[in-house]
Amino acid sequence: MDYSRFVYAVQNNDKEELATLTSVISAVLIKFLKVRLGATHQDAEDSAQNTLMLVFEKIKEDKLNSPDSIIYYLFTTAKHDYLKVQAKIKEPTFDEAPDSHSEEGDQLSSLLNEERMTILKACLNSLKPDLKSYISYWFHNPGDETSVVADHFGISVSNAWTKKHRILKMLKECCEKKLAF
Amino acid sequence: MKENELNIHKQIDAYVKGQLSEAEITALWVEFAKNPELLDDLELEVSIKELIEKEASGVAASSSTKTFQLPKWTWHAAAAAVLLLVAFIQLFQIDSATEMDQFLATNISPDQIETGDGVRAKEMVVDTADSLLNLGFSALISGNTNQALSLYNEVIENFDVEPYGSKAFTNKGIVLYNKGDYSGSILAFDNALERVEESRMIKEKAHWYKGNALVNIGEFEQARLAVFEAYTLDGVFRKPAFLLLQKLNYDLGYVDYEDFESQRGN
Repeated sequence: MDYSRFVYAVQNNDKEELATLTSVISAVLIKFLKVRLGATHQDAEDSAQNTLMLVFEKIKEDKLNSPDSIIYYLFTTAKHDYLKVQAKIKEPTFDEAPDSHSEEGDQLSSLLNEERMTILKACLNSLKPDLKSYISYWFHNPGDETSVVADHFGISVSNAWTKKHRILKMLKECCEKKLAF
Repeated sequence: MKENELNIHKQIDAYVKGQLSEAEITALWVEFAKNPELLDDLELEVSIKELIEKEASGVAASSSTKTFQLPKWTWHAAAAAVLLLVAFIQLFQIDSATEMDQFLATNISPDQIETGDGVRAKEMVVDTADSLLNLGFSALISGNTNQALSLYNEVIENFDVEPYGSKAFTNKGIVLYNKGDYSGSILAFDNALERVEESRMIKEKAHWYKGNALVNIGEFEQARLAVFEAYTLDGVFRKPAFLLLQKLNYDLGYVDYEDFESQRGN
């Protein structure tokens, strides 16, 4: 993602380019809010939209232009917008559990999509038995160091990473192929 | 696979397995923003892990589905035991007091750090201050807190103009807070508040974390005032500020929260 292209598109009001780039940025922000803050899809969409409008203004005012600053600004603004809306919706009371302030863990499960899971399951089952057993072992033993996995399968650590990467690539291609039909 | 690509995939693997620190997660999301396709890889790994876990639990459940019939009297005995236990708990239960710690920020996350906003300025001085703030952020998320601190001190010494002075002092306050130097962080937040001109976010952060630091050193009255300031700014810290304020009011004997404003001068 080239953020300098984004800045240029905002400054020159290039609507076609903006439509493409904002949909990419918006998708990242929505996932960020869902995973990191446990936002619902609708709330995440609203905050992502508010954030993009604020970023547009900042860029037009010449107050934001470096890629790193834009990324930082996007995440921070999205987070603040979401939390502010949530705080307004739900006024706390003293009886409420004080841990409501504590940080909850990331909601990675919010990335799961039922349709894609069904396809992925079919792809996983179509893997060769040795590859399926390898990837199952990898994810079934999350606490194991890669060296333990490598030892278990009698390969080097670097080959262990390569093999995992190769299997993920195969699964990704399989899913894309099935989704295309 | 290139080394950089491999490193990012290692980070994604660790993220899915819950092995990343808060700073590492923040840094990884910056990578996702730079390369959104990596989010597809994250999604794929999360989905595979979910499917494999489901499959494994399904196998475990089906392999252990032998059922045993317990004699009828067992259920009566179990019910009696539960009733006894409930009676025992009600008799000896002591209400546990809410601890102040539960309302405090234990560690301030790196996404609260102020960075340069890339203002296009004619003066060279502004560009340098921006870069120093951004370098401080990079140092911090890489775990180099001392380096981050010295970069923020450099901004304070050489570029103490707005908005850089208040940003640098806010960041210094955050770093010192996380190091447990609460007195140092209070001083830094006060300096940020003295300087800040336009940023409501900095005002809010400085009041809120100053309040937290004051609680940590036992200065509850002063903490109450700082937290109230954060609360009245009505921003992202409103909810935690409200809860901490209620706790402080309760502990200090100010039971009538509505009357708080009139008590501030007393």
